[in-house]
Amino acid sequence: MSSIIPLHRVNVLTGIKSARVIEDAAQYANFIEKAKRPLLVLGPLLREWSLDGKLAIEYALEIAKGANIPICATADVKGKTMELGTKPDSVYDAVEIVNHLKDPDWQGVRREGNHDLVIFFGIRSDLEEQCLSVLKHFAFKHLKTMTLDKYYFPHANYSLPNFRKEKQWKAFLESLLDNLKKGG
Amino acid sequence: MAEVKELVKELTKKEEEIRELIKAEIPWEPVGPTPMPEIPDLRSWDMRLLKTYAPFYAPFCDLCCFCTYGKCDLTEGRRGACGIDIATQQARFVLLACLMGCSAHAAHGGHILEFLIDRYGPDKKIDLGTFIDVEAPNIRTVVGLKPETLGDLQIALEYVFKEIAHLLDSCHTGQEGSSLDYESKALHASMLDHVGMEIADIAQIVGFDFPTSVAETPLVDMGWGAIDKSKPVILVWGHNPATSTVVIDYLREHNLEDKVEVCGLCCTALETTRYSDRAKIIGPLSRGLFFIRTGIADVVMTDEQCIRTDAPQEAAKVDSRMIACLDKAMYGLEDATETDADEIVRRMVDNKEQFAILDSPKAAEVAVRVAMEIAPQRKKEWVAEAEAMEMAKKCTNCGMCEQVCPNLFNIGDGITEVAKGNFDLIRQQFNLCIGCGKCEQECPNHVPIFKIMQTAASMETWKIRAGRGPVMDTEIRNVGAPITLGTIPGVLAFVGCSNYPDIDDVADMVYEFAKRKYIITLTGCAAMVAGMKKFEDGKTVYELFPPDFDAGGVVNIGSCVSNAHISGAAIKIANIFAALPLRANYEVMADYVLNRVGACGVAWGAMSQKAASIGTGFNRLGVPVLLGPHSAKYRRLFLSRKEEDDWRVMDARKREIVDSGEPSPEHLAYVCETKEKAMVTIPKLCIRKNDTPQGRSIKLNHYVSLYKKYMGGGLPEDLHLFVRRDADIPLVYKKEVRAHLQEIGWQPKEPVGLPTLIGTYPSKVPLDAVIH
Repeated sequence: MSSIIPLHRVNVLTGIKSARVIEDAAQYANFIEKAKRPLLVLGPLLREWSLDGKLAIEYALEIAKGANIPICATADVKGKTMELGTKPDSVYDAVEIVNHLKDPDWQGVRREGNHDLVIFFGIRSDLEEQCLSVLKHFAFKHLKTMTLDKYYFPHANYSLPNFRKEKQWKAFLESLLDNLKKGG
Repeated sequence: MAEVKELVKELTKKEEEIRELIKAEIPWEPVGPTPMPEIPDLRSWDMRLLKTYAPFYAPFCDLCCFCTYGKCDLTEGRRGACGIDIATQQARFVLLACLMGCSAHAAHGGHILEFLIDRYGPDKKIDLGTFIDVEAPNIRTVVGLKPETLGDLQIALEYVFKEIAHLLDSCHTGQEGSSLDYESKALHASMLDHVGMEIADIAQIVGFDFPTSVAETPLVDMGWGAIDKSKPVILVWGHNPATSTVVIDYLREHNLEDKVEVCGLCCTALETTRYSDRAKIIGPLSRGLFFIRTGIADVVMTDEQCIRTDAPQEAAKVDSRMIACLDKAMYGLEDATETDADEIVRRMVDNKEQFAILDSPKAAEVAVRVAMEIAPQRKKEWVAEAEAMEMAKKCTNCGMCEQVCPNLFNIGDGITEVAKGNFDLIRQQFNLCIGCGKCEQECPNHVPIFKIMQTAASMETWKIRAGRGPVMDTEIRNVGAPITLGTIPGVLAFVGCSNYPDIDDVADMVYEFAKRKYIITLTGCAAMVAGMKKFEDGKTVYELFPPDFDAGGVVNIGSCVSNAHISGAAIKIANIFAALPLRANYEVMADYVLNRVGACGVAWGAMSQKAASIGTGFNRLGVPVLLGPHSAKYRRLFLSRKEEDDWRVMDARKREIVDSGEPSPEHLAYVCETKEKAMVTIPKLCIRKNDTPQGRSIKLNHYVSLYKKYMGGGLPEDLHLFVRRDADIPLVYKKEVRAHLQEIGWQPKEPVGLPTLIGTYPSKVPLDAVIH
């Protein structure tokens, strides 16, 4: 069990299986590139989080574009993605998309088969952690999960650590983008 | 063969006993198929619901730690030592939560009944006024009994208690092995909760003369600014009016009503204002700890349910005196029920001792006398801004407070701004605060965060309408047709606790939908917070909108236990408007509500186990409930997969099963992350297969316009699923929607004449029973 405590302690893991912490963006990029059908699930906090004046949602959209990852816009995020010139591949609430993802026979947002890697980014941490728990318990045979938020999410398969400074998180996201571009 | 005969004889005897209990010989309606249903009796209905709305489990924990075999790891398909799997363990948790909720209300009802039967005797008649003949729709439907006296309510309550014992038994290690069966039991427990709530509130209305058969109840004051601090202040906190009403009786009897302030927190506050329009409402549970720590209350009287377990310690910190008035929460205090009142008063005044006093009149007398004696000596000053700035300077904004905040925000940001003399941020943050106090506990520098927040807390007062109890039969007659045809776009029930992402959310939602002519009903903490925001002309939603159960009305039904009147109103639509018999006829009532009554619960801040059972009870009755983001922690939702699930229903007119292809209602228990998305989801959850083209077009008009308003334009991705024919398309969006439908290859589909699930699953109910 990891000794890392999530930033928001309402999300403390009570169990034995916790996320592997990844700090190396190249390793994250590698997981994404190896996935056959990744999916990026975007939450409403991406509209609020700003890293040196650049909104987190801009990073999210660049990652999606860089690695050709389909997007699921949750809550009311769609408006912002449209404003930034990207039509999401799908619009579902967090619990709705997770409800689909846990079914191995679901055909995915591009109707090409269910996703094998789901990347969560920008959902409020208690809800995101519960969504990750669903997939950890009921979809462990057919998909892995990963988070891009600046906090540790124990119910994911792969998570970033609790970054103390925004610049660490920013550096990670930019490095991830570079790695994905190189890989592409 | 002998065994079989014995079994048949046993069943017949049991049925006879039930018929005797429910007074079957009184022929107000024929007795339906399920009088006093037990666990298996409505199981088929549950399984049919769960087929479409499958449980969605979000485990809070990987383990089971219920017995000494454990802890057992339930990850990756493992089973515990007893054989349980992770889904079944979640369902067991849900059942336990629902049982806690059901027990809380039923025991509340039991206490009230005992109190009132002691006062008036068991033969006191139930009379809810000129405009309410169907006085107890839940009891009539579930139990099969038409309660005429307080003693009759006792019969219904004993049935509830018996079922609770069986349900709780099933949670024991090594028994139920199916998550679906646990869910059926949770649905059963929660249906019983609505019976228990109805018992409690009918008893209260009858016993305390609460308003009934009236819509325009008084507008009462809310907010701590409404309290005259120069007077002695008694705070009643909890849910049971047996305490607070007796305090008011004492004040009236001694001509002290003008001299002592009585204010309330949580549902007791609502109950108190149903008894006296001079009583003040402080606010919901989320304002409890904050208010206690102001020290404004001279005496704190607690009763039951959502209070705080540290109420005595918190009261002592600010020199408020404290009395625990009910056995549910005695806090380890000395039981002074039998002690002489003079002695208790002396010890409370001189020694600041706290007591449990389980005799309401004595507790009331002691509270008033103590408050009057100590109030002149107590200081009740709010922290001044300069003082707050000094206190705030100790904050280093280390972020420890954010780490423990259930609402995930950093109060440290606001505190450091206060240190600079800027109070704007902390005022905004006060709206996000759910009042748990964990931030202050965690602070390494011991910054008195709640004291500093006094500078952010508005001294504003608001008007809220006192709870009015049941919806009148006359109102049901007026709105039954437009609701079932869809021309009133929906009945919304804002219910539940105060664990809100933002306290303004509920008022904003109520305002939006009242303007759109939905019928708005409210109870409990949601009823309070809906009134804690002012709109045009400085008015709250209670002042802006009429108090009628009609299009555009905003109706404060009452406290938590008044939720039974909302489920009751749904049943009454089936019974009074559609003339379907309700007696022991739960499946028919629930099937009607599910398929034809466009109602939706909104429990945006649901936190408690009571909220779990209230919501799940609505679900069994066919009412979907939308929850706020915190509610993912309840561990279970009921979700469909709209484009892939089986939406076949029976068309009772054609007497054949048809594929409606329409996910309505789409989910039964659903979580939204943001208020904006909730605004878009609510109108969709009010869509029913029974809608006329005109009704559907009105509902879709709201769905599309709210989507455009909150989702940044365009059309809803699933709109095509809800358009049956061209006539369903809202006029104002006709061109745009037609073009969209053509683009995606939409095909019209036949509306279902008389949609029902009866006939699609094994049931004792014949199809003819749903035709009216």
